[in-house]
Amino acid sequence: MSYKVTEDGNIATIHLDGEIDMDVTEKAKEVIFPHIEAGKEVHLNLSNVQYMDSSGISVLIESHQKALEKNTKVIIKDVSKSVLKVIMMAKLEQILNLE
Amino acid sequence: MSETAQSNHTEKKDFLVRSSSLKDVRTFCREVFEKLQIEQNLKDELVLAIAEAAQNIVKHAYKNDPQTDDKMVVQISCKDNKLQIGFYDMGTPVDPNKVKHREIDNVKPGGLGTFFIQEIMDAVEFKDGKKPWINHLVLTKQL
Repeated sequence: MSYKVTEDGNIATIHLDGEIDMDVTEKAKEVIFPHIEAGKEVHLNLSNVQYMDSSGISVLIESHQKALEKNTKVIIKDVSKSVLKVIMMAKLEQILNLE
Repeated sequence: MSETAQSNHTEKKDFLVRSSSLKDVRTFCREVFEKLQIEQNLKDELVLAIAEAAQNIVKHAYKNDPQTDDKMVVQISCKDNKLQIGFYDMGTPVDPNKVKHREIDNVKPGGLGTFFIQEIMDAVEFKDGKKPWINHLVLTKQL
């Protein structure tokens, strides 16, 4: 997994690239969580993520819940069809902020 | 190691029990499903179910032990349009009665892997592992 972060005011946009599984979840958390903890609105662009398993879904849930605690939000953008299918299988499409 | 037949198809491969092996497990599955000409949507689902089962071995049977040199075996068989995927490992014995997914409406991190497996596959069965194996999981799906 690789990533790119850009910041514009209070918005941190994080592009993840690759496959998100148990092997990379700690790295994903290290990339995402500090921005949430800093109170930033995080835009998580998943257009280049073609595979995500339950560990990756857990990162999305944890990010969402952390953001609520910090009175901010995580918006998941440009999710690929294959990852959207997994999000829907987990019945999270109404809970996570998808754009 | 792999063996193929015209009417039946069986392939198996072993992997170190590490989270870093999960990508190799997915690659192996995709290659086999390519040969079986399984359509993309179903292929994606099957790869997810298999990777989740392999992840459970790493995470639960081996407690994510980075020191182990043990291997797990994934065997994919297709006979008469019935797909059977076997997993063999030498980790902590699994008590099938304790393998449960979380309530899907109770949104929290974790507990989804088993849910995905059950959603995707027709049957999930733990069999007695024959030596040297401790655990033997079988997933089946009618194609």
